[in-house]
Amino acid sequence: MSSLLRQTALLVGLALLPAVGQALYFRSQISWDARVSESEMVSVDQARGWGADAIWIDARPEADFERDHVPGAILLNEDRWNELLSPFLQEHWKPEKKIVVYCSAESCNLAGDVARRLREEARLPNEIRVLKGGWEEWLKTRK
Amino acid sequence: MAEDAQMNLIWRILGWLVGGVFIFAGLTKIVGFQPFHWLDPMEFARDIDNYKMLPWTISVGLALYLPWLEVICGLALIFRRWYSGALAILFALLLVFIGASIVAKTRGIDVSCGCFGHLSNQLSFAWHLALDFAIVAAVAALWLSDRQTYRAELAGD
Repeated sequence: MSSLLRQTALLVGLALLPAVGQALYFRSQISWDARVSESEMVSVDQARGWGADAIWIDARPEADFERDHVPGAILLNEDRWNELLSPFLQEHWKPEKKIVVYCSAESCNLAGDVARRLREEARLPNEIRVLKGGWEEWLKTRK
Repeated sequence: MAEDAQMNLIWRILGWLVGGVFIFAGLTKIVGFQPFHWLDPMEFARDIDNYKMLPWTISVGLALYLPWLEVICGLALIFRRWYSGALAILFALLLVFIGASIVAKTRGIDVSCGCFGHLSNQLSFAWHLALDFAIVAAVAALWLSDRQTYRAELAGD
């Protein structure tokens, strides 16, 4: 039994070494505090200030979008990604505009995932930000 | 005697297979399939976070740590060093993973397990479970065989 515990402890400890090395190697890319790092986010006030220079993307489910959404926002969620991406690129996308993606609240992951896919899969060169606090925050500050 | 040698060989091969599966599973989360190309550990962290069971910081820590633990335990099985310890760790990991998958499913969360990086995204939940139970059974069989050998060695002394 003690040999089993010793072996287990050795293996658990040994795996820590490369993991720490990898954490150091990727230190600039790892966000320990939140799934979406602070630098990828934008506050409602700042995003509003961009006015017509920003395209708003609603990453929530379609039913939520139909109920209400940020004026001028375009529906582009993960559920219908393949179907909605092409029309978005053809009809709404402009290379010089900033893109603001939002989902329901601070805790939802949809906006972060859509923003990442726009960068990595659609390879958009735009400045793409996730709205801090999401739709809930927008509602609080709606005038 | 020849039968014992044959059984030993079968256990050896099963050990190599299970070890290989874990090395493969770990590497697909660390380097993917492009040589000298490190994968962003945030990808696996997001897979863990999708289960909505752990705080984000812990998901990141696990995303950095678990793939290496899988690789090292896989190597331990292949080279038969710290063999029992590796089996115990892998058995525990699999049970935790199966439990988490079932809990996530019952909570209506549709997760990609990320067990073989993004290769496994296309597998259905039933296939994930079937694969996991097959590996659990193999690890358990290796564990029983190892204990039997250990007891036989003790009796021989």
